[in-house]
Amino acid sequence: MTAAAPSSSLPSAALIDAQALMSIRSLELRARAVVEGFWSGLHRSPYHGFSVEFTEYRQYTPGDDPRYLDWRVFARTDRFFIKKYEDETNLRAHLLADQSRSMNYGTRGYTKAAYAATLAATLAYFLHLQGDAVGLLTFDAAVRDYLPARHRAGHLRQLMHTLEKPPGGRATDLTAPLERVTALFRKRGLVAFISDFLAPLDRLERNLLALTACGHEVNVFQVLDPAELNLGLEQAVLVEDLESARTLYIDPATARADYVKKLQAHCETLRAICRKLGISYYLLATSQPLEIALFEFLQERMRRGRQFRAVTRAGSGGGA
Amino acid sequence: MNFLTPLFLLGGLAIVGPVIFHLIRRTTREKTTFSSLMFLLPTPPRLSRRSRLEHLLLLLLRLLALALLALGFSRPFFRQTPLVDPTAIPPKRIVVLVDTSASMRRAGLWAEARARAEAVLRQAAPVDHVALFTFDRQATAIFPFEEWDRAPAGDRAALALGRLGAVTPGWAGTHLGNALITAAEALAETDGKAVPGPRQIVLVSDLQAGSRLDALQAYEWPKGVELRVEAVKARNPTNAGVQLVAEAVDASRTAATVVRVRVTNAADSQREQFKLGWTRATGEFDGPAMDAYVPPGQSRVFPVPLPKDVAGGGAAAAGVRQIALTGDDENFDNTVFVIPPRQQKVSVLWLGADAPEDPREPLFFLRRAFTDTPRLAVQIVAHAPSAPLLPGEAQSASVIFIADPLPAALAAALREQALAGKTLVFAPKSAASAATLAALLGRDSVPLEEVKPANYAMFAEIDFQHPLFAPFADPRFSDFTKIHIWKYRRLDAAAIPDARVVAKFDSGDPALVDIPLGKGRLVVLASGWQPEDSQLAISSKFVPLLFSLLDLGGEMAPPVTQWFVGDQVPLDSAPGRTDAAGGKVRAPGGAEIALAAGATSFAQTSQPGIYELTAGGRTQRFAVNLDANESHTAPLATDELERLGVPVAVTRPQPAVAADKKILLQGIEAEGRQKLWRWFIAATLAVLLVESALAGWTARRLAAKLEEAAP
Repeated sequence: MTAAAPSSSLPSAALIDAQALMSIRSLELRARAVVEGFWSGLHRSPYHGFSVEFTEYRQYTPGDDPRYLDWRVFARTDRFFIKKYEDETNLRAHLLADQSRSMNYGTRGYTKAAYAATLAATLAYFLHLQGDAVGLLTFDAAVRDYLPARHRAGHLRQLMHTLEKPPGGRATDLTAPLERVTALFRKRGLVAFISDFLAPLDRLERNLLALTACGHEVNVFQVLDPAELNLGLEQAVLVEDLESARTLYIDPATARADYVKKLQAHCETLRAICRKLGISYYLLATSQPLEIALFEFLQERMRRGRQFRAVTRAGSGGGA
Repeated sequence: MNFLTPLFLLGGLAIVGPVIFHLIRRTTREKTTFSSLMFLLPTPPRLSRRSRLEHLLLLLLRLLALALLALGFSRPFFRQTPLVDPTAIPPKRIVVLVDTSASMRRAGLWAEARARAEAVLRQAAPVDHVALFTFDRQATAIFPFEEWDRAPAGDRAALALGRLGAVTPGWAGTHLGNALITAAEALAETDGKAVPGPRQIVLVSDLQAGSRLDALQAYEWPKGVELRVEAVKARNPTNAGVQLVAEAVDASRTAATVVRVRVTNAADSQREQFKLGWTRATGEFDGPAMDAYVPPGQSRVFPVPLPKDVAGGGAAAAGVRQIALTGDDENFDNTVFVIPPRQQKVSVLWLGADAPEDPREPLFFLRRAFTDTPRLAVQIVAHAPSAPLLPGEAQSASVIFIADPLPAALAAALREQALAGKTLVFAPKSAASAATLAALLGRDSVPLEEVKPANYAMFAEIDFQHPLFAPFADPRFSDFTKIHIWKYRRLDAAAIPDARVVAKFDSGDPALVDIPLGKGRLVVLASGWQPEDSQLAISSKFVPLLFSLLDLGGEMAPPVTQWFVGDQVPLDSAPGRTDAAGGKVRAPGGAEIALAAGATSFAQTSQPGIYELTAGGRTQRFAVNLDANESHTAPLATDELERLGVPVAVTRPQPAVAADKKILLQGIEAEGRQKLWRWFIAATLAVLLVESALAGWTARRLAAKLEEAAP
């Protein structure tokens, strides 16, 4: 399985090699490099489309804040109308980063955890630049750290710092963080779920359903090392599980086909769950440039935004 | 090359192991981490796809080590030409001892014994010296060494077997101890000189528990003589025997009414219910048979009532003289021959002027002492000294007691009787009988002096060797001091030639003097037993002493009622019996055996039954029965022989097996001398050292290579 090919609209010259990017030590710098490089490569500003948007007029009733009176309409029609806007400036984005030990695997000089942290940092930085509030929840078998979504000075740095913590934990539990998120995130927002998802998926669907039911816009990023995608063992070795420390004697020549089949089935299950719940699913190989992920994410978001607006407009029956 | 333990060579199959291990791709010790094993299954180790073996030299060394180890453990040796030919055994001396006792009459035993003896004789090598003995009570050489050596080598066994064929088991008991001693001594020397080489006794016997081994207890078994037991086994183990038991002394009865028999059941019998009763000569029971219940290994005594005609002692008893037992498997010991006891009538002549029922007189006590028993009836004929003797009266009396002075003619007549062999007992009531004593002794005068001790006298010195006092020789009965003697007659025994003082009083005077007179004797009692003289009559010694006097007269019948087969039966030694011209004995089968003149015993009691001795116009009957021990037919444990110092060979090796064993022993010896296994083990160690060094070197080289390969 390979990651989704980069979109044709993204100029390849703008991409930073993941290897080179990961050699930058500071997570913040990495995030900045991605976002700014990405920006310079885009033709449109990412601010477009995120402006304050007018939705409808409503007749003034005593008690309304007179600040929102549309004086121009009053001038024209001699009636008081209140101008209503879409509340979209303060988007709450929650990043869920898997920091279990299985994320500590990597064959390209950096681990999946580092890649996932960079992805999380990139998203955080990007959203922060947009003025959105960004929160972070890291987990392994249980929830490790939680930063509520805020938009203030220093919050981003704290977030980066949390992301830089080394992975730990014996197992990956996808249920606990999602339940916690469902309990914590009252207001609707954006949830980016970054993990390798190398764990049983039986209860994931229910938890994700709970999340989407709360109105969150959920994005699932599955980060896998290329060696995981095609069992990149060269010879028969004793293989130790990073989480459980269980060892098995594996001969890749005989085990590979079965492994790839099972992994594909697993990923396909995850994808099917996401599709069913209307969740955006991204499979990222750590060899893939991060910009692609970001680009796809934004593209998807914009597409969703347009759909959403189209739907709401159609529902309100026009106006203006 | 030969191997002592060739099975260890199978250990060489272990060389397959290293080949397989070399073919298996070595499981890596390297460990790598992986994010999750949830999609992985363990891979089994597999054989190398490449048929090429890695580390060929190491493999070869390992195979070599295993092969050498297996060879070492299989104890190899080179068989050398044997120094000694296994067949060249030094000449052996063998005595084949065949049991012909009565217990060998059991079904099938004799045939088997002959077969065994034949096997032994035929197996004897031409150089061996063999003698064939049979034994029951005694061992008899029926084919001695000399005849064996004289006979041509090919005919020896046949000749010996021919002799054995003429023998059948007799009726005698098994004196195994004596037979073994005879055989051992025959082996130990020939013609007075010792013979080298191995010596062996081959005992062919049923080895019954009743075999007598007591002779072996006092015998030091010669060194180098080994006993090999060829035990023959009876087909039917159930055997019970019957024996006559000495009758109980019952003073209350004057005539025998029962015969007591003991029924012995062998320890390995399988039955315990038998029938017992008088039988006719034809075999069937005469009258009702009684039940006899005897558990195996035990014996019980049963009183068998005498038939009325026999109890009466009449001549009609002639047809029924045996008690038989039925119900067991073997008949040889089921019949016991009985001579019904007959009361012997003895007369005692009393010459004295006693009133018959006067308790102060000696005759009163004499009458009460001689009461009748089932065996003996004593008739006392009292005769006044003055009255003349009836003709034959003195002749028929066994003992003549003289208490009062006798007329000189009577005394002379009695002296004649004594000279002819009669026993006279002179117990004077007073010193006035001195003249009678002188007449009896044939002297002019014998001084006899009345003595009355101040207090009392006692018996002091008693010669317990004398037949009169022999029954009292036991210290339990030898105390005569309780008998007080109030007065006695002093006799100067020294003055009488040949007089033997048997007892003395404490004063030193003779109390009882035995004086031989011709063929008879005169016993002088210095004191009477009447209360006036002494307490002898009321002492417990009185009656036995009187019976001893009767015995001196030679009238008492021998107490033995039965003899065993092979016993020497002493003939009646009473005067005028056997010293007459010979006589004859009629054996149970009807054969008549003439007795030599002057024979004192009869030894040809070769079979059980009633023997009838006719000599001197008198007929004497005696029963000869089977040795009671022959009924103990349970097998004897050979441990018993070992315990008595007889080395018993454990097994009877077949010649082929023996040869194999010999070869094996030679192999063991050669292997022990050569000790090749040491070299193999040393070679194994050397190979293992080389292997270790090579393996170490290979591993180091591989590690170095890997290091080089790693960046």
